[in-house]
Amino acid sequence: MEAVRAGETGRLEELFDRYRQPLCRYFLHLTFDRATAEDLAQETFFRVLKYRRSYQPETSFRAWLYQVGRNVFHDHASRGKGEVAMPDETRGLRSLDAPPDRQVERNEDSALLRRALAALPREKREVLLMSRYLDLKYEEIASVLNCEVGTVKVRVYRALRELSDRFFALRGERAS
Amino acid sequence: MTCEQLRQQLAEYLAERLDADEREAAAAHLASCAGCRAEAAELGEVWRGMESLPEGAPGAGARKRFVEVLRAYQAGQAAGPVHTMPRRAWGWAPRAAVAASLLVMGALGGRYLTPPRTAGEAGDVAQLRGQVESLRQLVTLALLEEQSPSARLRGVTYAYQMRQPDREVRQALLYAVNRDSNVNVRLSAVDALGKLAGDPTVRQALAEAIPAQDSPLVQVALIDVLVDLRETNAAPALRALAQNAQANEAARQRAAWGLEKLEASQ
Repeated sequence: MEAVRAGETGRLEELFDRYRQPLCRYFLHLTFDRATAEDLAQETFFRVLKYRRSYQPETSFRAWLYQVGRNVFHDHASRGKGEVAMPDETRGLRSLDAPPDRQVERNEDSALLRRALAALPREKREVLLMSRYLDLKYEEIASVLNCEVGTVKVRVYRALRELSDRFFALRGERAS
Repeated sequence: MTCEQLRQQLAEYLAERLDADEREAAAAHLASCAGCRAEAAELGEVWRGMESLPEGAPGAGARKRFVEVLRAYQAGQAAGPVHTMPRRAWGWAPRAAVAASLLVMGALGGRYLTPPRTAGEAGDVAQLRGQVESLRQLVTLALLEEQSPSARLRGVTYAYQMRQPDREVRQALLYAVNRDSNVNVRLSAVDALGKLAGDPTVRQALAEAIPAQDSPLVQVALIDVLVDLRETNAAPALRALAQNAQANEAARQRAAWGLEKLEASQ
């Protein structure tokens, strides 16, 4: 990013290749719309290009990038386009080849988990997506959200706890 | 490690982001606490299950579109100024106006930030607030006349922060969109004008700016704003751009996308 900041804007392609997939996944589970997620990811990189001189090299690039992405999403949401209705289908869900004890095995479980995630309040969903899909450490999430690390620890735990409660309730293993 | 500490580290533990000491402490606690072990197993199933959810992998065209816009941006930067904004003969005056206005704004701002005590004072404050807003508009106009792109960018930022830019500021922003030599200034001016969605003249001018642009990046920004505003009057301009074989590929694709969105919103 330092090279991009210094004017080597072509190097932004490398950053795009490295970070576009986690960004798209993050946006997808915030908006439930693949095309919108893709648009928001592109917009994030255009803003990185536009505001590159405001990046401070001594800070975490990932945290800065995702802060830009978060602003892009919030601008999008403030125009009343935060989320579309989540399609209630299992199409497109993929299963993994991991051992059975390392995954939720069935597509039905994936669909239920997706519904449970969609039902989380946006603030909880957002912090959990940062931890799970953006692979951000607590310290980095605190930097993105501009809050204390202790607050992040509590928020991530509560979000994961609530997701689990909702998932097992949908699966009929727990009272909702 | 206590149960509470373990809970707060659980996501990092499941993500394998803990350092060796922290991981060892968590494992030791889990080995000795059946309650935490059960919770870690349950939340771990959910955590791992999230891996099976859709990835939202970008489509094949996404990278191509991004690279084309990036190339267009680089070409625009390399080409340097393409237009020259006409300068007023009194070249030194804008700087003096900015300096004087900032001084006055500071003095007036200091007064009206103090809470009024009487109805009379409240009226004075309203009047002063109006004067500060007028001065802010003057500063903005002066900055937009500056030679330096960074000063003009500051002018656009001032305009962006205004609640209700007057007609002259709006026209200066539209002038910047169409004629400024610097792509960043033009992009920022598009953003600032996007806030003035209630003004049909601005919407019309933004639509008319599309064919006049030589920068695909600005064309894409204009298209995005007009689609956000659901400005169906922009459809002919988007259609013309989408069908123009000489136009930049990324801008043409974005125009086709915008046209589709506008038609769907009708």
